Amino acid sequence: MGGGFLMPVGTDNKALIIRIAEIIISELKLEDITAETFDPDLDLVDELGVDSMDLATVVLVLQDEYGITIDEDDYPKLRNVRMIAEYIEHKRTV
Amino acid sequence: MDTTNVITIPHSDKEPRKWKFSELLADREVHLRWEKVRKYFFLRESTYDMTNLCNIRCDGCYYYEGEKQFARGNENPEAWRKLMREEKARGITYVVLAGAEPSMVSELLEVCYREMPLGCIASNGFKRIPETVGYKIHISVWGNDETSLRVRRAKNLLLKQIDNYRGDDRAVFVYTFTRENIEEIYEVMDSIVTHECKITFNVFSSPVGYAGSLRHTRDSLDRTRDVMLDLLARYPGHVLFSPYNVVAHTHQYGLHTLYGCSYPRKNPSTDIGLGRSFRQYRADLSWDRDVACCVPDTDCDECRHYASGSAVVTARLYRHVTDPDTFKSWLDYVDTYLAVWVKGYEKDDHLCRTMITPPYHTN
Repeated sequence: MGGGFLMPVGTDNKALIIRIAEIIISELKLEDITAETFDPDLDLVDELGVDSMDLATVVLVLQDEYGITIDEDDYPKLRNVRMIAEYIEHKRTV
Repeated sequence: MDTTNVITIPHSDKEPRKWKFSELLADREVHLRWEKVRKYFFLRESTYDMTNLCNIRCDGCYYYEGEKQFARGNENPEAWRKLMREEKARGITYVVLAGAEPSMVSELLEVCYREMPLGCIASNGFKRIPETVGYKIHISVWGNDETSLRVRRAKNLLLKQIDNYRGDDRAVFVYTFTRENIEEIYEVMDSIVTHECKITFNVFSSPVGYAGSLRHTRDSLDRTRDVMLDLLARYPGHVLFSPYNVVAHTHQYGLHTLYGCSYPRKNPSTDIGLGRSFRQYRADLSWDRDVACCVPDTDCDECRHYASGSAVVTARLYRHVTDPDTFKSWLDYVDTYLAVWVKGYEKDDHLCRTMITPPYHTN
């Protein structure tokens, strides 16, 4: 994947998107939704009602899973699953 | 002074091990505590001045500082009911009902409680709030009865407060340490313990421009720290506090310097968290983001409020996931905060008795 941070996530990142959705569903204990049906463009704050503590928890699990560091200042960039996937891609390539 | 169960460790120059979150959670006790506290991550607070009436007048009272005291009180129950419904609709799940003295408008408290079942009332405890209002009640104590008479012009105030709230699981007494009343806590503790009440600690945080004798110095903060640790060791069943609470609230630097305050007044971001959702309503139901924080008109550089720490330290989860002791200390802090603020929540034993250095701070 040669895309930069702001480039759209390609089909080869579908697995990444699914995995992030799984983590969010698991950590936030969401019901009636699966990783496959999770809209990657759903706004986590405005539409899903995720708050700072929820997001911090998800971030900590993502850090573990992908061996990256996500700075607190970058939290606002993690608005939806697609943006998180792009962020992780970027972090793994730098 | 017996502080033998609290150990201060020297700062180490060794490169610290980098811990994964999952490694920290591998400890069963830690994992259980994490699961216990995370159930309350849904709490989203705002604060509300219920009235501009009060039945006593105290030196250094935060309510009678700044502009908010001039707001005309709205005593219309329907207006409060409507506000609570609107607050719920925008995601608020926890209300802090304060200033000037909420017990003066108990009908409004009942209206709020019926609409929003989780919350807390900050009261001077002079007038009992009916049981039908099932919020936590924080009763402010500013010294022994002699000091209360001098500073609050209220005779036998502690006795009256205890009479009103003895055996009431809503009640937590909040002792504010000023520069002048540090040792008086022992006298207060005798009464608290005798009557099986619970107490937590606050540290006087000067209002903007305040230069009076209650303002803390480095020396008075150190003395406060020693006394808090002593009480924590002596009365674990009555004191709702932890070693990390002591660290955070008696540090030479205030909470904003240590952790970065997340309340709107000091936090321009509206992306997520308190900066996005927190409002501080005045008695006329107006609000102003630019001055919104848990205790408006406090000098932010001096802020060591227990209410502020409950949000500011708690919000910094990420910074505390660095090593076992730091994470355990954060969990102790959150466990304490929930026991103080949420009715029915019981605090467990401390996970960490070490006095850690607040993360990102090396002094």
